[in-house]
Amino acid sequence: MLFGIVYLTCFYMDWAPFRYYPDHRTFHIKVTPQDGPAILWYGWVTAAAFVSAAIALLVPRQLAERLGPGWAWAVPLVIVVLLLVYERRWFM
Amino acid sequence: MIVALLILHGLLAVALLGAITHQALSLVPRRAAAGPLSFVGRFRNVDSEAYATAVVVLFVVTAIGGGLLYPQYRLDVRTALEDMQMRAANGVFELKEHLAAIGLGLLPTYWLFWKAPLVPGQAAARRYLTWLLAFIVWWNFLVGHVLNNIKGLLP
Repeated sequence: MLFGIVYLTCFYMDWAPFRYYPDHRTFHIKVTPQDGPAILWYGWVTAAAFVSAAIALLVPRQLAERLGPGWAWAVPLVIVVLLLVYERRWFM
Repeated sequence: MIVALLILHGLLAVALLGAITHQALSLVPRRAAAGPLSFVGRFRNVDSEAYATAVVVLFVVTAIGGGLLYPQYRLDVRTALEDMQMRAANGVFELKEHLAAIGLGLLPTYWLFWKAPLVPGQAAARRYLTWLLAFIVWWNFLVGHVLNNIKGLLP
């Protein structure tokens, strides 16, 4: 649930902890336009994985279980819908 | 090497597609069949629980393959799509990336809900999580194939 929220936030804000430049096969923390096109996807997935794992470990199990099972699929569904809506710009 | 990886990625995706589709269709509510089962009936009449671990493993491995192929896609395919001004093709692949990531994030929850013993109160959550993953897998599979063949598909 949290993974999708963090991923969507990172993607929307165009923020990644690192970028990969396939032309030079290098990772950089800062933007280096001279290295060609950058791939942010690895950074977004890494950020989402670390943040959601950290929160999942920190939140007590009893508190997490208060959320009904419906949240587990409803939140990702909303995120998918938001992504479809945002990315419709490619088809207009 | 990259072609071999692409073929492997495609084959793993086929296996994943089969597994998630069997599981997703088995969760569609149905009446008890009278008489022998049809082809669709036999396709749906599977042990849903048995597919969960396979789906998780195949999704992860297929996603890793996709991640390894991505740099070559970014340099060769995406630049060609931009040169040909094929915005829609670019757009569907953007969605493929995002959906693959969302799908990866869903896997722990999906696996937990399918872990035995199954809790009856979580049946709806299992169903919708599975259908959501099925949508993601089908989208990514179809987009991957169309983009792989796009130069041959267009005049």
